[in-house]
Amino acid sequence: MRPYQVGTAAAIVLIAAVAMFDSRRVLSPAPGTAPGDVGSAWYPFWAAAVVAFGAAVAGYQALTRPQPKEGVFAGAGSVAAVAKLVIPMLLYAVSFAWLGFYLATGVYMGFFAAYIGRYKPWWSLASAVLTPLAIFLLFEVGFRLILPRSIFYPGIPF
Amino acid sequence: MEVLGNLFGGFATALQPVNIAFLFIGVTLGLVIGVLPGLGGTSGVAILLPISVVIARGDIAGANATTAVILLAGIYWGALFGGVITSILFNIPGEPWSVVLLFDGFPLAKRRGKPGLALTSSFLASFVGAFIATLLFTFFAQFVAEKALSFGPAELFAVFVLSFATLVGLGAESPFKALAMLATGLLLAAVGFDTISGSQRLIPLVGVENDALRSFQINLLSGIGFVPVTIGLFGIGEILASAEEQGIGYMEKISARLGFSDLLEALAALRQRIRLVVSNSIIGFLFGVLPGHGATAASFLGYGLARQYAKNKQDFGKGEISGIMGPQATADAAGVASLVPMVTLGVPGSPTSAVIMAGLFVWGLQPGPLLFTEHKDFVWGLIASIYLGHLLTFVICLLAVPLLAMIMRVPYAIITPFIVVISVIGSYSLNNSMLDVTWTILFGLVGYWLRKMHYPLAPLVVALVLGDSTERELRKSLIAGSGNLGFFFSTPLASLLMFLAVVVILIPIVRVVIARVRRTPVPVAPDAD
Repeated sequence: MRPYQVGTAAAIVLIAAVAMFDSRRVLSPAPGTAPGDVGSAWYPFWAAAVVAFGAAVAGYQALTRPQPKEGVFAGAGSVAAVAKLVIPMLLYAVSFAWLGFYLATGVYMGFFAAYIGRYKPWWSLASAVLTPLAIFLLFEVGFRLILPRSIFYPGIPF
Repeated sequence: MEVLGNLFGGFATALQPVNIAFLFIGVTLGLVIGVLPGLGGTSGVAILLPISVVIARGDIAGANATTAVILLAGIYWGALFGGVITSILFNIPGEPWSVVLLFDGFPLAKRRGKPGLALTSSFLASFVGAFIATLLFTFFAQFVAEKALSFGPAELFAVFVLSFATLVGLGAESPFKALAMLATGLLLAAVGFDTISGSQRLIPLVGVENDALRSFQINLLSGIGFVPVTIGLFGIGEILASAEEQGIGYMEKISARLGFSDLLEALAALRQRIRLVVSNSIIGFLFGVLPGHGATAASFLGYGLARQYAKNKQDFGKGEISGIMGPQATADAAGVASLVPMVTLGVPGSPTSAVIMAGLFVWGLQPGPLLFTEHKDFVWGLIASIYLGHLLTFVICLLAVPLLAMIMRVPYAIITPFIVVISVIGSYSLNNSMLDVTWTILFGLVGYWLRKMHYPLAPLVVALVLGDSTERELRKSLIAGSGNLGFFFSTPLASLLMFLAVVVILIPIVRVVIARVRRTPVPVAPDAD
């Protein structure tokens, strides 16, 4: 667990350092500001400094204190379970811009039912068709929330 | 008497057919969300925030902002009850605050063969806890709000500092991790235009010529949305954690059908434990008012108190009803109480109330004491709906446990991608922004990892929603005091709040010292809701 804890803390410190660098103009305040006006960079600079401080101490504690011997994941099974969810989810999010909401959702639901659920093709197809249809009826018809269409629109209506 | 008059007015608002309809929808959805292990109350409320916008702007006949808050609060009440069912029947907590029910709820259901009694006792304690907390809410909220109206920037800033101090000092995780997460929330809130000077902050790669990057930078100027971040951290983050557990999971199953005899037996058990339930409800209320400490931490506190003062300590862990009623009353009271600072001070008491507070901003309302004078119908309608919501939830739970338990049978391969899909809709539809979807996915992955590394997410969410207000009051105070830090202690109340903040922030140090003196490890409880 120790390398992961230290690595996480280091990553947070790095992000905070970038934010502090972006707000570095706080170190050379412009003349002419009203008394007490700290300017726009002051708040993010010190917020980032506190982030860096908290993460650095957490990282130091991870280095110096006893840590659980087991790793981040319980085993290969749990890594695979997470990967099976993360990879299709990322592909779904990326495809959203081209396939639009309804096509992307249909493909995503159908894939999940077929690949993860090992359902028969007609059940997977039902999941792929009925989910976008239910969402269309609830959100677009019921609540008038327009969801993105595919690049094939208006050739096909979704 | 004025309070009672206002409350009756609130009931008149809450009992309008459209409000009752959305209260029913809210608590039912909340129960479903509570039953599903991969979806929590916070993410459920966040996902439905865009729908609440449609409701609040009056697109549905008779509906308004009160209807919207009744829907969102109803989801929270439903989720507070719903997580119980899976804990008791399946040994799987549907919500973080129902983890504690695994200790005695599941043993009472399985080992002693009384699932109906376990469920009914839990629902009854939840109802009583929530009812007592709502009574306290009714009679104290207006008083606090009236006092808060006289707050200047120094007092308001001190309130925020005290809120942040409780998140760091009273949290279950490492205070340094909590501090890092809190400041990360403040930092994220600072992205985009500075609302005071108008200058841009924390926009990456300014000056680099690239159309896609420029579009990203322009979108970022309006800041990082609270809703996509929350849906990511709590919705996607939870579903990833759930996926991992499903990969290695094991599920116990007990079937249950509640009968009238279960209710009578639970009522008799309640009568024997009424002092425990009432005292835990009051303690839960006081605990829940503290920002960042919602139902989860309260449930563990309630269990500890129930065991501490029990004569039959040896029965705890084997299906003791006090081990069910104690934490349930505390958790529900804390859940209700988490709305008190939101309504009276504009400070959310828990991540879920932070999402509801974000909803208020989106609907054009300013959370805080002015609600009591400028939007009386809204506040008292909300308070009345808490009474009605819990009564409704209690009745639905008694009638529909077998139906709710069946939700657990919806296959993983259907429910998991479906939660991802509705999370995406929730984050996209508030601003019709693909960037918001990207934030949701990104913060989902980040939230999952931070959770694994034991970084608490509640401070991040609360700080993100309070970041702008905190900076505004801080800079107003500095300008009002011409840069003199003594201005933060310029009134007795501001000084007292700052002093309390220092005391609270020192608590982890005191805990470590005490633990070292006793040479025992510091106890660690799960993350707050």
